[in-house]
Amino acid sequence: MAIAERTAGTVSIPGVNVRPGWAGWLSTTDHKRIGIMYLVSAFVFFLIGGIEALLMRIQLGVPDNTFLTPDVYNQMFTMHGTTMIFLGLMPLNVGLGNYMVPLMIGARDMAFPRLNALSIWLFIFGGLMLYVSFLVGGAPNVGWFAYAPLTQKQFAPTAGVDYWIIGIGLTGVASIAGALNFIVTILNMRAPGMTLNRMPLFVWMQLVVAFILIFAFPVLTVATIQLLFDRHFGTRFFLPNLGGDAVLWQHLFWFFGHPEVYILILPTMGIISEVLPTFSRKPIFGYAFVAYSGVAIGFLGFLVWAHHMFAVGLGPLANAFFGAASFLIAVPTGVKIFNWLATMWQGSLNLTTAMHYAIGFISMFIIGGISGITLASPPINVQQTDSYYVVAHMHYVLFGGAIQGIFAGIFYWFPKMTGRMLDERLGKWQFWLMLISFNLTFFPMHLSGNAGMPRRIYTYEAEMGWNLWNLISTIGSLLLAVAFLLFLWNVVTSIRRGPVAPADPWDGATLEWAVSSPPPVYNFAVTPHVRSRRPLWDQKYPSLHEINGGHGASGAYHGERRDGFEHDTPPAMEPIHLPSPTYAPLIVSVGIMILGFGIIYLGDFGLIAASAMLVGLLTMAFGILTWVRISHVDSPHHAH
Amino acid sequence: MSELTTRTHGAVAHHTSLGVDNRKLGVWAFIGSETLFFATLITTYFVFAPVNRARPDFQDPREFLDIELTTVLASILLASSLTMVLALSASRRGDRRSFTTWLLATVGLGLAFIGGQAYEFNHLYHEGLTLSSSLFGTTFFVLTGFHGTHVAIGVIWLLSVFFKVRAYPDSPENVMDVEIAGLYWHFVDLVWVAIFVLVYLI
Amino acid sequence: MAGHSEEHGAHTHPSDRFYWIVAGVLAVVTALEVGLFIVNEQHLIAKWLEVALLLILSTIKGAAVVMFFMHLKGDAGIFKFVFLVPLAFATTLLLSFMVLFSEHVGIAG
Repeated sequence: MAIAERTAGTVSIPGVNVRPGWAGWLSTTDHKRIGIMYLVSAFVFFLIGGIEALLMRIQLGVPDNTFLTPDVYNQMFTMHGTTMIFLGLMPLNVGLGNYMVPLMIGARDMAFPRLNALSIWLFIFGGLMLYVSFLVGGAPNVGWFAYAPLTQKQFAPTAGVDYWIIGIGLTGVASIAGALNFIVTILNMRAPGMTLNRMPLFVWMQLVVAFILIFAFPVLTVATIQLLFDRHFGTRFFLPNLGGDAVLWQHLFWFFGHPEVYILILPTMGIISEVLPTFSRKPIFGYAFVAYSGVAIGFLGFLVWAHHMFAVGLGPLANAFFGAASFLIAVPTGVKIFNWLATMWQGSLNLTTAMHYAIGFISMFIIGGISGITLASPPINVQQTDSYYVVAHMHYVLFGGAIQGIFAGIFYWFPKMTGRMLDERLGKWQFWLMLISFNLTFFPMHLSGNAGMPRRIYTYEAEMGWNLWNLISTIGSLLLAVAFLLFLWNVVTSIRRGPVAPADPWDGATLEWAVSSPPPVYNFAVTPHVRSRRPLWDQKYPSLHEINGGHGASGAYHGERRDGFEHDTPPAMEPIHLPSPTYAPLIVSVGIMILGFGIIYLGDFGLIAASAMLVGLLTMAFGILTWVRISHVDSPHHAH
Repeated sequence: MSELTTRTHGAVAHHTSLGVDNRKLGVWAFIGSETLFFATLITTYFVFAPVNRARPDFQDPREFLDIELTTVLASILLASSLTMVLALSASRRGDRRSFTTWLLATVGLGLAFIGGQAYEFNHLYHEGLTLSSSLFGTTFFVLTGFHGTHVAIGVIWLLSVFFKVRAYPDSPENVMDVEIAGLYWHFVDLVWVAIFVLVYLI
Repeated sequence: MAGHSEEHGAHTHPSDRFYWIVAGVLAVVTALEVGLFIVNEQHLIAKWLEVALLLILSTIKGAAVVMFFMHLKGDAGIFKFVFLVPLAFATTLLLSFMVLFSEHVGIAG
């Protein structure tokens, strides 16, 4: 167990043996390191997904192209979607959340640091497993939503679909474990004085998303298990000719799939809710409305899933219900947008790169929202579904929205995480290049979609009238690639030679800016006491607090020295407990991965696969024993 | 929201925003998640029940399912919930002997359930009900099979807790370990209450 | 509201006798369920009534396990929230799927 000692104003932690080099990363339980691992691996997967997209765009750039075969094209769009959603955007959100949430609530780590490490390793192994499929007969080629009965063994004979099932199974378990971690951390580990109504909106959104996640993912888990059984163990859940129901798959998948898109967007909306006030030098307008509309979106998101199925023939009653519910979701979304705009209104705008991205988010998300409104109407949807119009819509909200939100978060928090500033000039050039090329890529898709171009076709004939739009999209996508390379260049050079970042480069209001950049391993020397939504502004500008009447702050103002929190006072030191580093989560994850390989091949290679499963289980058992042992060592209450 | 600052001298300051134990909150949230897992399996069962009935390879649940055996299984699991909570009570008291008796009784009842379930599966298999024989076979075995798997995991969990805490069952952390394992165990029993009525009785 | 970080010390727990009583109730209700099932093999009451009664009985059992064995009654509110919300979602999932697959007029399966 690691106990901090205070000597001469510093806090040293003998015994927090952060092992040097790779060993340190493999055995870490520190939320900051895990956050960085998420961000880096997610970004690698994101680039791979981008390459998959580029390959598709090259194939579609001209009609009747033969750059990719149909089957390879199918693998590309399947892997692109799966990668971007499960291995790109979700872990980017979790990475930023992992790093920032404990800091923003004044905690030293997540509630379950070892479980946190399990999540990152399971995510990495799940992603790797998904990509192993390329090497063993072919990646899944059935679309990221894997509609039945195309996914049945007779139509998808390679192991690709099985790798998809197990790959997202592993990342799903990682996500659920991570969500449990966020729920307990946010609900139970806030600094004294930080009520739910005083916590940063980024934290609010992570809490809502964590709940959505633990309710939505199990449904996907069951559906994919059922699919696995259909493929290998003779069941007939989704086999229409034996009484199974392909539409059941769609219902189950989208019952998960629609809340999933809110899992993708809400954390980034939380980022915007942090960035805008800081760079408008105004508190967020309508904090409660923004927070509770997030809750409303999370809740309503579970009631709209069949708007992905308007063309299935569910009948007018069902369509009407889901259409109406989908229109309803526009309301809390609009509330957020108006509150953001009101935040900027008459604020003192500081147009940093992060602010550019935040404003870019709002504008592109609005466009995506509008195309979503047309899609929410069943009669219009029947025309637009499965066309490139939908591709346009989803990319406007997920790329123009969520990814720009991520970029805003990265430009905002990069100094905190690395201790260096990103180059603002390069950042702004890259922002504009990305914004323009993004619109070049995806705006024409509204037009080609409405002109009838279906999704998921590997080529098209020259006479269809789609040539110009596709060419523009392809050119746009190549420029997008350049924009990403510029960003990478910015990151790499800034980490090495960027200006050193102070603790608080943006004059922020929330607790993460109260500690050094990067923070010490224990985050806060003394747990802060919070008295308002803007604890750091309270400390830096106590008179401002008085003028504003204190939104959400405690009323008492006794005229004595008031700190937003106790930062520099040296009180009686409490011991700082940090969990020891351990390889246990890594070992357990390896065991689960081996188990996963065994499951994939159980139907076809019974004995070998069963042995692999056994090896996996034994590895897990060994890892769990190690885990229990290390928790013995760390636990502060142990009787012996 | 209640705010707590427990600064006892020499011990760790253990402030928690809601005044609850982290792990207990985590397990309850996990149980919430598992509720959706089993709800999906049960939903699938109900979606296919009428379809099964209308098909040429229809297998009637009433013909295959033996209500006597199942009632015994249900009673075993309910009894195990009783023994579990008695074990928790004993651990709080520091009554090591009772704790051992009741916790191992829970484990024993859990194993008896699994044994009975395995016996039922074997019997049904020989009667011609398999994963692939009909929609009833498909949905029944996957639903009850995953429930049985959860029971098995519960048994392993209970045994590990037993070995960990038996020396000092009344230390606060050990009591929490028992309580948390108990929550999972009761949940698994709860799922069976639902399956029993929905699959076997209705 | 005062509390302790170790929440077990903050309030008294039911006695062992109480747990035995709850178990007794569970046994009786189970017997009623099975009895109702066996008796209605003779089709003495309408099916819908049988189903309704069985659901009520099993809800009583479930509630007893959750409230008393899992100690949800008397425990912190957050536990109730974290259990009841997903239960509501689960019920919604089940009911809405049954409707969507019911081949009711206006709703195709």
